[in-house]
Amino acid sequence: MAESTLFDEKTLRKLEQLALVASQVRAGAIKGERRSTKRGTSIEFADYRNYTRGDDLRRVDWNIFARLERPFIKLLEEEEDLAVHLLLDASASMDWPRDPGAPSAAHKFTFARRLLAGLGYIALVSGDRLSVRALGGPAPQQWGPGRGRGRILEVLGAVEEFRTAGETALSASLRAYALRGGRPGLCIVISDLFSPDGYADGLTALLGRGHEVALIHVLSPDEVNPPLAGDLRLVDVETASGQDVSVDDSMRDLYRRRLVAWRESIQVYCAARGVHYVPVETSVPWEEVILYQLRRLGVVR
Amino acid sequence: MAFLTPLAALLGALAIPIVLLYLLRLRRHEAEVSSTYLWRQIVQDREANAPWQRLRRSLLLFLQLLILALLVLALMRPFVETPTITTGRIALLLDASASMNATDVTPSRFAAARQEALALVDALSAQDSMTVIRVAAVPEVLASATSDRNLLREAILSARPSSGPADWSAALTLAAGGATGVEHFSVVLISDGGLPPDLPAIPGEFRYVPIGQSAENVGLTALAPRARAGEPPQVFVEMTNFGSQTAEVILSLELDGVLDRAERFRIAGGSVQEIVYTDLPGSFSTLSAALQPASGSPVPDYLAVDDRAWAVFTPPGAGRILLMTPGNLYLRQALASLPGVAAFQGQTAAGLPTGQTFDLYILDGWLPEDGVLPPGDLLIVNPPGDTALFRVLGRSLETGNPRVRRDDPRTRYVSFDNVSVLDFNVLDGVDWAEPLITVDGGPLLLAGTVDGRQVAILTFDLHRSDLPLQIAWPILLANLMQWYTPARTAGTAESLRVGETLALNPPFEADTLRITDPDGATTTLRVGEDALIYTGMTQPGLYTVETYARGELIRREPFAVNLFDRVEGLIRPAESLRIGASEVTEAAREEIGQREFWPLLALAALALLTLEWWLYQRRMRLPSPAEVWARSRAKG
Repeated sequence: MAESTLFDEKTLRKLEQLALVASQVRAGAIKGERRSTKRGTSIEFADYRNYTRGDDLRRVDWNIFARLERPFIKLLEEEEDLAVHLLLDASASMDWPRDPGAPSAAHKFTFARRLLAGLGYIALVSGDRLSVRALGGPAPQQWGPGRGRGRILEVLGAVEEFRTAGETALSASLRAYALRGGRPGLCIVISDLFSPDGYADGLTALLGRGHEVALIHVLSPDEVNPPLAGDLRLVDVETASGQDVSVDDSMRDLYRRRLVAWRESIQVYCAARGVHYVPVETSVPWEEVILYQLRRLGVVR
Repeated sequence: MAFLTPLAALLGALAIPIVLLYLLRLRRHEAEVSSTYLWRQIVQDREANAPWQRLRRSLLLFLQLLILALLVLALMRPFVETPTITTGRIALLLDASASMNATDVTPSRFAAARQEALALVDALSAQDSMTVIRVAAVPEVLASATSDRNLLREAILSARPSSGPADWSAALTLAAGGATGVEHFSVVLISDGGLPPDLPAIPGEFRYVPIGQSAENVGLTALAPRARAGEPPQVFVEMTNFGSQTAEVILSLELDGVLDRAERFRIAGGSVQEIVYTDLPGSFSTLSAALQPASGSPVPDYLAVDDRAWAVFTPPGAGRILLMTPGNLYLRQALASLPGVAAFQGQTAAGLPTGQTFDLYILDGWLPEDGVLPPGDLLIVNPPGDTALFRVLGRSLETGNPRVRRDDPRTRYVSFDNVSVLDFNVLDGVDWAEPLITVDGGPLLLAGTVDGRQVAILTFDLHRSDLPLQIAWPILLANLMQWYTPARTAGTAESLRVGETLALNPPFEADTLRITDPDGATTTLRVGEDALIYTGMTQPGLYTVETYARGELIRREPFAVNLFDRVEGLIRPAESLRIGASEVTEAAREEIGQREFWPLLALAALALLTLEWWLYQRRMRLPSPAEVWARSRAKG
């Protein structure tokens, strides 16, 4: 782990800082907003479950421990463990920028994986049930579901192994996950949304399954302000399709306007469906996204 | 609008390779992007409002084609028709006489004339040709029968007005030289008039472009100092008001560059004011007069070139000769035949006339009774007695073997071989003189300068020799007179006119002449090599001629050159000219000339080329990666 480039020392320290605030920062905004069909409300006792390594000792039922000499965790109604699904777009377009001159922290996939790790860390520390999955990529890449803060290193290891490859049909992947992927909960999708079949159907499918959905839209700065000029044939690294464009100042302006309009259209779409939409540029430190932007939106608290 | 070389339009076919190159040029560079998702949308957007966008995309091509079109158009040499004075074969006579310096039209008449000439050149069509002749004292062809407008323009712009009169007759003859075998020949005179009335008729049509507005001019028309022996010098000044209104002027007189007097005059329009000053100091060598309008004068003086005049004052020379002789026919006849002298016969019985001075006294066998020689140069023949200059020792009969100093100018060409002299006086105390003709017994002719005067002595009686019957006698006398009153190299003390040529008469020993004009420019003439004619009198003023013999300055004379021209002073623009039998009035612009404007097109093409380059540079400029990151950070 010490040799990892993705989770270097600095990143790990930031993760630990997140752990400190994790008692306050909790994944999930469901509570109070979505009624449980299974149980009642309030602080009422719901169930016991076995203690697993990493659970908060304060939540061990000491009466039971005294009687049976085995630790149990007391589950209260409101403390129903939340299913957190972290879905990461692993299409080739996430492997950007490839320019070696660009800062590595701004690499979209690196950024997205660190963000993913941070969110997963919070989820595990909060005792939620975490599933991590890369959509697309060379082979099925996933972790979980799993629970407990002791499994953090597992998650980090799995996330570090994630690789990008090829084309991802985002909508289709999300739909498939909605059909198959476990119990409804908080579902955070991290993607650049450069997907041939769009995102709308997939998000609708997730919502239909009962997920609360947050969409983190990751773009690198050179996608916001393309450093291009002249008569060019632009080649899509994901689809390898070309597009002839003569880029000049006016064309770059048009691109920027187009990008803003695109983000706004996503924003409008998401707002209409109660999806949390977080547009992010990779020039911003990833932990700020968690601590400020997601918190402000109530995705974490 | 029409074209002179319409075939150049074929060059428009160059548009085809330009378009082809433009189409072939679009081998785009490949650039990877994370996704072409947005770019595709933009391109679709653009194609939605296609025509304008497509035009914008090919703006560079459009500009290139436009540049080509302009260049082709320029090469086709388009022209517009403009009314002009005349067409065909043209002889342009540009008046460069002194009156064209007048400033009644700003900046000057000559500048205005040049503008008229340039306008004529501009309207010259391709088939027309023009000869430009600058009409001054010596007419000068500036450009000969050419259609090259640049050449013509340069020729006209290089022309300068002269300070002298114009020789119209010669100019017209020069112009007529171009008329032979030409169908449509015309002569354009750009002038303020002042043409002589008796100009010869030459073939061709005449067009007259009058220049000038006003006639107001006051000028000096004469300045003549006069010297008479025994009298103070006098100066005659004549001023003429050529204008129509009364002018007030201040006349100032300078002697040797020092202001002597200034006086104010009122001169009625068209009248002449003459003044004679008799109270000038006795010695000065140059004289200049200047006129300037008095401060309160209501009339301006438009011509400056005739407001100054110069003169050279020659002190009284050996013009007046007194002959004191008991009766010598030979002397009297020889003196009468000499030019430029006034000989007077004195009465030997009455002695020297009193109250009069003469330049040269000839004392033949007679001396004043009191022995006092008169002041002035002396020629003493057969002195009867002693004077302060010599003593008579006695008579000698040894007259054989005469020897003549051939190298002396006073005895040059004098042959004594056949001259017989009976006897002569032997003189003593004549160390001041050189013996010029010597016989065995002593000198027959002595000459030298003593006490500031030139004295020559013939020691024998003319009646007792056959010299007066020989050819040597008038030659000797002429040589002696030349010695008494050296001839001026410049030939005359009179004022010379601007534009004249001056024939120089250097003394025999001179080998180099150097003439300095008022600007300080010098002309060097070598005696025996160059024609001794000076043609550089192009402006009024004082000139100096220096005579050198073997590198030494032997003589230095000033001479004055003045305008003194009533024709040039009369600056009233003429309404019509008379040439031959025909009257020429102001020309109307009746004919059609062609004004070309290809330089404008070429200039526009250059401007477009700059624009195209700028656009290309702007389009090709890449924002650097640093700029991109900086921008996003500023945003974040």
